[in-house]
Amino acid sequence: MSAASQTTTVDTTRSGTSDGWRESRAVQLWLPRILGYVVVLGMWQFASTQLVERAFALPSPTTILQEMWEIIVTGVFWEHFYSTIRKIAIGYSITFVLGMGIGVLMARPWADAFFRDWVLSIMSTPGLVFALVAAMIFGFSPLGPITAIVITSFPFVTVNIAEGVKAIPKDLIDMGKAFNVSERRRLRQIVIPFLAPYTFAALRYGFSIAWKIATLTEVFGSSSGIGFMIRREFQMFSIAGMLAWIFFFFAFALLLEQILQTGMKRYFRWRPEAMV
Amino acid sequence: MAQTQTAGARPATFSPRRILRQRRSARVLSVVLFLLGWQLLLPVLPTALIPAPAEVLGFMWDEIRGDTLGRTTVWEAFAISLRRLFAGFTIAFLIGLPVGLLMGANRWIDRMFKDFVLVGLAMPSLVWALLTGLWFGLDSGATIITVVLAATPFVIINTLEGVRDVPRELTDMARSFHVPRTHVIRHVIFPSLMPFFFASLRYGLANGWKGLVLAEVFAATSGAGWNIRYWYDAHRAQGVIGYAFFFIIFALIVERLVFQRLSNRVFRWRPSDDVGPDELTAKELDQYGVAAGGDVAM
Repeated sequence: MSAASQTTTVDTTRSGTSDGWRESRAVQLWLPRILGYVVVLGMWQFASTQLVERAFALPSPTTILQEMWEIIVTGVFWEHFYSTIRKIAIGYSITFVLGMGIGVLMARPWADAFFRDWVLSIMSTPGLVFALVAAMIFGFSPLGPITAIVITSFPFVTVNIAEGVKAIPKDLIDMGKAFNVSERRRLRQIVIPFLAPYTFAALRYGFSIAWKIATLTEVFGSSSGIGFMIRREFQMFSIAGMLAWIFFFFAFALLLEQILQTGMKRYFRWRPEAMV
Repeated sequence: MAQTQTAGARPATFSPRRILRQRRSARVLSVVLFLLGWQLLLPVLPTALIPAPAEVLGFMWDEIRGDTLGRTTVWEAFAISLRRLFAGFTIAFLIGLPVGLLMGANRWIDRMFKDFVLVGLAMPSLVWALLTGLWFGLDSGATIITVVLAATPFVIINTLEGVRDVPRELTDMARSFHVPRTHVIRHVIFPSLMPFFFASLRYGLANGWKGLVLAEVFAATSGAGWNIRYWYDAHRAQGVIGYAFFFIIFALIVERLVFQRLSNRVFRWRPSDDVGPDELTAKELDQYGVAAGGDVAM
């Protein structure tokens, strides 16, 4: 057992035991993905050159990118984006407070029965309904979208928080009481960290709804905002414009989702399994 | 003489407190309080456009009886919409099932199209409604295509997950015992696919419904969505709010009666403490950052 025989070279540059770049992990992961994009975008570009009649106008990806660029450069973007964001911020803060309150209440069976039908039906009804009612009642005031946001997203916050409160481990609380831990410390050290994943889930689902409902309500009842611009482009039969604004909408939804993910990763560093 | 009184035995009284504490009264009470609150807050509300509960209920009652000022009665409108929904969903299923099966079975195909399926899942149905409205003009074409576009990603992703989740050990065991192919498909693969099939039905139909109603607002001349838009254009608040309640009641009926009953029957064979189909798929979908229940609202 000489030293020489123990130093066999291990090839650490290759993953797996097979040869060739084709089997490498990175290629396996990315090649089909890129291929997918190429295929779909290619088909789209091709179709857009073929279907040029007015009714079936399909703008090419490049046209849409141009539109998006123009929207940013002319500053139109910021005005409407700010308008939408403001409504969402206000609406969602109210939603969160309301949702947490009712969610905590709903952990008890009587309150659960009281709210259950409303929560269930609001979650299953098309957002359009609330958007129209809000637009009708509030006209073009920003109160319309805000109310619609509150009504449609609070059920999601509520349901998640209620689940969390129901699941709080009673033994930990009892142990805290038995050791004379103050109510405040019990709350801070046991209840809140335990509820954290549920809170994040509530935040996340509720927020994705808030975005969509805000935009939808703006389509009917607003004079500014991303939804309003989408409607304007629709009325001007400009598919490229409409798609441009829709991509903006998507881009920001994705951005916020990323921010939330990063926030979650940092918060749950000490127990990654609790991440939602 | 020994007193044999059972501890805790109460005389059977109809005390109002006990009745009030029951769950059923909670549900009834919430509706009553809502209507009451509405009626009482009416003079305080910022706008004159909100009708009194009595007007709305009157409108709804007229509609139910079939006496309507609109183009179709509420029954006809929902029937038209449902017909479109089922037509569209059948197509979505016919497209989504094979794609989902392929993507579940083959890693390469899965990676190729996964991103697009995710975009489809997150896409608000408003987008589909507007696009098909511009492309296909009025009437059933646009609405049915919207349903197809809205529901297919959900069918795909649930089928995909179902294929992935077929328990390997069972198929391996079946193979080692030389169980014939058809047997394996019928008794192992099929039951294991059932919860995902069910989830695809549920989320696909739900999202399809949202898309359909929106498409009817922009690109149709009949149907439930068109009806509510009709009242909105006519500035008749009791029509809009009345139809809003029709939608809510419809959703409640479908959720409680159809899906609960159906899932209980289909999953009779499962032990009751098993994870139901929706939680299972919701958790799976969550890996992809998609709120399964959440995206259903638009």
